[in-house]
Amino acid sequence: MAFSAVSEKYSGKMREMEIGTGDKKVVVGGQATMPFCTFDGDYPHRPVIAMEVYDVVDPEWPAAVVDPFKDVINDPVAWAKKNVEEYGAQMICLQLASTDPNGENRSADEAAALAKEMASALSVPLLVWGSGNVEKDADVLSKVCEVCEGMNLLVGPAVEENYKKIAAAALGYGHNVVSQSPIDVNMAKQMNILISNLGLPMEKIIMEPSTGALGYGVEYTYSVMERISLAALSQNDEKMQCPMINDLGKECWKAREVKLTDEEEPSFGPDMEKRGVLWEAMTAFDMLLAGSNLLIMRNPKAVKLTEQLISELM
Amino acid sequence: MSKIILSSAIRGAHKIVDRVEGKINAALEKFGADQDVKLPNTAYYLPVIYGMTGYKVEKIGDMPKVIEMCRDLLPEVPSEEAWLPYLGPGLDAGMAACFAYDVEEALKYLEDPCPYLPMKEDPEDTDPDIWLGAADDVILRKRGVEFVDGSAPGFAAVVGAAKDVETAVAIAKELQEKSIYVFMAGPNPNGVTFAEQLKEGGVQLGWNTRLVPFGKDVSAAIHALGFATRAALTFGGIKPGDFKGNLLYNKYRVFAFVLALDEVDDEKYAAAAGAINWGFPTIADTDIPEILPTGVCTYEHVVSNIPQEEIVSKAIEVRGLKITITKIDIPVSYGPAFEGERIKKDAMHVELGGPKSMGFEFAYSKPLDEVEDGKFTVVGPDLDDVEVGGLLPIGIWIELAGRKFQEDFEPILERQCHHLLNGAEGVLHIGQRDIVWMRISKKAYEAGFRLKHFGTILHAKMHNEFGAIVDKVQVTIYTDEEKVKELLAVARNTWHERDNRLADMTDETTETYYSCTLCQSFAPTHVCVVTPERPGLCGAYNWLDCRASYEINPHGPNQPIEKGETIDERLGKWKGVDEFVGPASGNAFESFAAYSIMEDPMTSCGCFEAIAACLFAANAIMVVDRDYTGDTPCGMPFSTLAGTVGGGLQTPGFVGISKFYIGSKKFISAEGGLKRLAWMPKALKEQLKDLIDKRGEEIGIPNMYDLIATEENGTTEEEVMAFMSEVGHPALEMDPLM
Repeated sequence: MAFSAVSEKYSGKMREMEIGTGDKKVVVGGQATMPFCTFDGDYPHRPVIAMEVYDVVDPEWPAAVVDPFKDVINDPVAWAKKNVEEYGAQMICLQLASTDPNGENRSADEAAALAKEMASALSVPLLVWGSGNVEKDADVLSKVCEVCEGMNLLVGPAVEENYKKIAAAALGYGHNVVSQSPIDVNMAKQMNILISNLGLPMEKIIMEPSTGALGYGVEYTYSVMERISLAALSQNDEKMQCPMINDLGKECWKAREVKLTDEEEPSFGPDMEKRGVLWEAMTAFDMLLAGSNLLIMRNPKAVKLTEQLISELM
Repeated sequence: MSKIILSSAIRGAHKIVDRVEGKINAALEKFGADQDVKLPNTAYYLPVIYGMTGYKVEKIGDMPKVIEMCRDLLPEVPSEEAWLPYLGPGLDAGMAACFAYDVEEALKYLEDPCPYLPMKEDPEDTDPDIWLGAADDVILRKRGVEFVDGSAPGFAAVVGAAKDVETAVAIAKELQEKSIYVFMAGPNPNGVTFAEQLKEGGVQLGWNTRLVPFGKDVSAAIHALGFATRAALTFGGIKPGDFKGNLLYNKYRVFAFVLALDEVDDEKYAAAAGAINWGFPTIADTDIPEILPTGVCTYEHVVSNIPQEEIVSKAIEVRGLKITITKIDIPVSYGPAFEGERIKKDAMHVELGGPKSMGFEFAYSKPLDEVEDGKFTVVGPDLDDVEVGGLLPIGIWIELAGRKFQEDFEPILERQCHHLLNGAEGVLHIGQRDIVWMRISKKAYEAGFRLKHFGTILHAKMHNEFGAIVDKVQVTIYTDEEKVKELLAVARNTWHERDNRLADMTDETTETYYSCTLCQSFAPTHVCVVTPERPGLCGAYNWLDCRASYEINPHGPNQPIEKGETIDERLGKWKGVDEFVGPASGNAFESFAAYSIMEDPMTSCGCFEAIAACLFAANAIMVVDRDYTGDTPCGMPFSTLAGTVGGGLQTPGFVGISKFYIGSKKFISAEGGLKRLAWMPKALKEQLKDLIDKRGEEIGIPNMYDLIATEENGTTEEEVMAFMSEVGHPALEMDPLM
């Protein structure tokens, strides 16, 4: 008797999200199976990596993430172009760290102007990320939506305290929204419901379950994402069928293990770059295996390793 | 009554359509059929007509077709004898009037000079006039976003004029304070308009102050409906021509209403009837007939004879508009960071209530018209009237009203006082009901904090956090000793009634139970099913709490479960519950028994106050709570037991429970209930003495309390069994557990 593989059947599938317009358009999501189980069902789109660009760089960054961008680190648009042209980025994530009121506190207008300049200059779609300050993000990201009308960007994170302003602006000016929840499967679902109740279609929502780096809670994120996938696919829960994104670059590169020199911790060895790259790539692998559709990453070598893995798995 | 209104509306609509037909003919003659007509910078043509019918008016030649549509909609003017019309024909007439107005206003853009300031957000002093006309798409998008995100709760379309300039300014200010847009059009019978009154009162007009003067004529009110219609097209994804979708979007999402000030003539009736189509009610200050029953609008349709001073709050009530207060107007900081703050004796300005005096807080509900929202009163001495370090009695008396408010929510809101008042810097609050004890710091007093600010805080926070059920909050602070004493007696009566209300509810007579899946974040398959006689195992959520939580947050973790057909009364199994539990537990479980520890017991998350476990040799059960760390007769201490029972598992022989449940008739009733209970920690037993005695009486074993062993009698099953035979425990005579 011939061998016949047992195949898992799923009743649901993830939604597809389009980011960008025209030639710049990228589609994420749409899978009808658990991560990379292409033998069980449809897996129409490769996970995408959005490479980070900061409008202001923290002086504490390790050399491994400064050196690759040394010539452009004070010019976000040039940095973004370098990521695309030299490092092959499929998407760019503009991190508006400068808008944080506890930092430089740059205005929403200034941030929005930069976002527009970058989006227009790039040949790939743009993701715009706030500073994480709930109130300021509402102002900054809604302004970005207004100024970049019709460019179909992805903006976020929208959280329970500020989602109304961000999602309403995204709805009014034609963009997608990252819905972020605090490592909680119910909250993730509730956020999707709340945002879609404002009128933003579910096709315009991507979930960020709160990402922990390797050694810093990656297993919690993994488990929440796995449960979201199972609810979406096995139980056909429509409110959970939004694709997923992980903001992991910044989490990895602030890890203690990445920042320590070998003088401070001889057992870690002298190759700090390799350590950091592997830390970011390993976190990315985990997120991919948990069902991520879109990864925000920083180091070009880590991106390359991750792209290789995706190619092998697809 | 409504017949008078609707007849007027139909007469008015005929008049409007006739007049506009004449204007179209004149325009055809003057400009020709090919002349373009459009509102400034919009992709929505004449928006009301386009939104409702999908018909695009681009040239004057397209306009006669609109008149045909109007004629199709217009009913005959009813005769005196007929009982008709009812609402339907009146609404059609109103819609016809709206179409005609849409055309009439578009024709104004052909006039020379144009009566409007197209593409302007605000009129300036140098402009010849104040009227802005239709909003273009840029304004629509920018302002419409505010309607979607809730920073603008709605708009008021004001027609006519206030009785004087001061009143006009007061009305506008009140609407502005509530972030409501004011769209103004049309004069009173003497030709005075609300917008001009505001200008005379020195008020800045325009989109940026949310006071928008659309036009001098009543017809310009159509720009308000045009704005609403386009909002549905832009933000609601509604297709042009989908009139039903468009009107419903507005009913449920755009909280608008019409304020008709001064006399209402046939034309204004027609416009008001038009607005009802969108779900926008009319509130009038004159004594016009009312249309009260709910139907098209969420609540009443036309409410009249409201004094101008009260018209805004009445309008908010009629439209069911929810107010949010962005800033709590008190002289000290407010936030969760101050909740844990302590105020020592030497830092305190005054002590309120507490052991040396009387202190209570009390919230209850009244009919909507008996509560004045935002009214705060202090009866008795205020903080200025006591010496530093002094003492006052306190009674916080909260009157609530809301369309969706239910008596059962009263205790839930009352309990919020503690964390709401504690959030203010320099305010300490301890206790609840009649054991309230507060302190106010010297610093807070010096910053200007006074007793009325308790009202400010409670009003703002209750609106913001419980807006789904609360529409009005009025607060009175009593420090007059006699008054406090008198009202405390009233409050105590009510508390007594409240305590009995839930106690009197039974699972049998209740059709809807509630789920709680709050703990699925860490116990993914766990589902609590909360019934009146079985509170959540954490002890924090009883049936009333779950119901209120659902009303406040319909998408939250507490969902109603219609219990449906009873499968097994003894075990507590219902068809509806089983159907819910399957999907809600990720299909981990098919069935739950509410009253059994042996057969399909309910899952346990990890938050249980106590665990009930079977002692098979003794044919009994034991209960151990979280505070008891010693050994128990089942061989495991609480911590080990918790690991066995928790995490969303069904573990026959064990179940997580709340302490209070032990006194319930339904406490493990499938296995015999309290009669089975043979062991519990001494401290827990003493804590629950009243419950056990009461339930013991009910089951005919008044000395039940003495029949339950504690750690003093033993911590092994053998010792418990010895104790049981010594006292003659009823479980010895019962059917075997297995």
